[in-house]
Amino acid sequence: MMGDMTASSSGTSVPGEGALPHPDATASTTATASGQALADLLRRCARGDEAAFAELYDATSRRLFGLVLRIVRDHAMSEEVTQEVYLDIWRTSARFDPSRGSALSWMMTIAHRTAVDRVRSSEAARRRDDTHAATNQDIDFDATAEAAQASLEAQRVRRALATLTDAQRSAVELAYLGGYTHTEVAALLDLPLGTAKTRIRDGLIRLRDTMGVPA
Amino acid sequence: MNADLHHLSGAYAVDALDDTERAAFESHLRGCADCRAEVAELTAAGHSLAALAQATPPPSLRASVLSGISQVRPLPPLPEDAAAPVPDAVFSVASGPVAAEASDAVVVPLRRRSRASTWLAGAAAAAVIAVGGLAWSPWSDDSGTLSPVDQVVAAADAVRVTSSKGELNAEVAYSRQLGRAAITVAGLPPAPEGKTYQLWFVGSDGVARSAGLLTPDADRRGSMVLEGDPSAAAAVGMTMEPAGGSTAPTSDPLVVLALA
Repeated sequence: MMGDMTASSSGTSVPGEGALPHPDATASTTATASGQALADLLRRCARGDEAAFAELYDATSRRLFGLVLRIVRDHAMSEEVTQEVYLDIWRTSARFDPSRGSALSWMMTIAHRTAVDRVRSSEAARRRDDTHAATNQDIDFDATAEAAQASLEAQRVRRALATLTDAQRSAVELAYLGGYTHTEVAALLDLPLGTAKTRIRDGLIRLRDTMGVPA
Repeated sequence: MNADLHHLSGAYAVDALDDTERAAFESHLRGCADCRAEVAELTAAGHSLAALAQATPPPSLRASVLSGISQVRPLPPLPEDAAAPVPDAVFSVASGPVAAEASDAVVVPLRRRSRASTWLAGAAAAAVIAVGGLAWSPWSDDSGTLSPVDQVVAAADAVRVTSSKGELNAEVAYSRQLGRAAITVAGLPPAPEGKTYQLWFVGSDGVARSAGLLTPDADRRGSMVLEGDPSAAAAVGMTMEPAGGSTAPTSDPLVVLALA
């Protein structure tokens, strides 16, 4: 399962399909806390340790709230969703399985799923459409981001995104940051039905191979 | 079919599948280690984009999150393999004449057959999102006016389990102290002419006992205290049955909730 372990932090594309996580990848999580530290905090949460949960919140809330806000867009609703997400994290902390991915990835999966589920309910979709009527591939990355500009990690992500084809990048952005289904992505990008899912997958594979993202 | 499903891994990783596709892919995932590994990697790759969207939440959110969790008990860990504890205790849908006539709820032992894994396997999946530990509010002193359903929900030891499938949301609350379980559903359309919704307690031995009939209101909601003692039940399920109900389920379950 482990492929090329050599570091390639410059953001250049790593040739070959099998290039998997390299040591440099851990640098991407230092912006919040090391993966191991988050996993330890989660374990303490599972035992009902509220102080550990507060630490976990402080280490991850910019990341999770920012993601939810990007997808949901309505500020009040984003706070509501974020609260629901953290409650879920607390409740299910014992079910985090480190063998299946990092703690941060697990938490963000909960946040992403919850936010997406919320915007797909009809009322939320209507509210979002009011403020987001003109969706197209020109997503303004910094509309809600504070300080992301300065973040080394954000620069690294942008460099990696630049290695994707335009179609792959648009499809991945609309799906992940926009919260759209692949069918909606196809419609938004005028792609034949069924091809958006391939673009999304190809784009994510490229991102993975470029960034050496730890699973 | 597998090739098609493999290609959904990316869309699944970024939650870009609709509910039907998601369910189909998840059932594929359970048997495909390659896809599981790919999904884990692509999920992490997708999350890297969130670095572009960081935003500081208002301090008030921290306060409400922290006060919110203090009233909720974390769930215990799942068994090593969620599907493992019930491999033999599968629940079989009775087919043929065995379930033809409606009568009083009786325990009907059902044969274990290969197609039957759906009920408790489904219940195991539902348990993953089970909501446990009721946020009990000791200051609400309106217990005298609580409906029978709310009395179960508000019991000091009540545990709630939720599951949703498309429009349908179901929550079962049960209290060992009261020896009662109650179900609340939303998004349940009226049963077709000549049909009814029927609830079942399913024992870990795979035996189903009727727990009563449920009729949703015009808002597609319904709730009731289940008939019978939940203490021996491993799951609660709901099926569509001929009007008047059946002695054993004759159709696949609409929803199954595992009682932890």
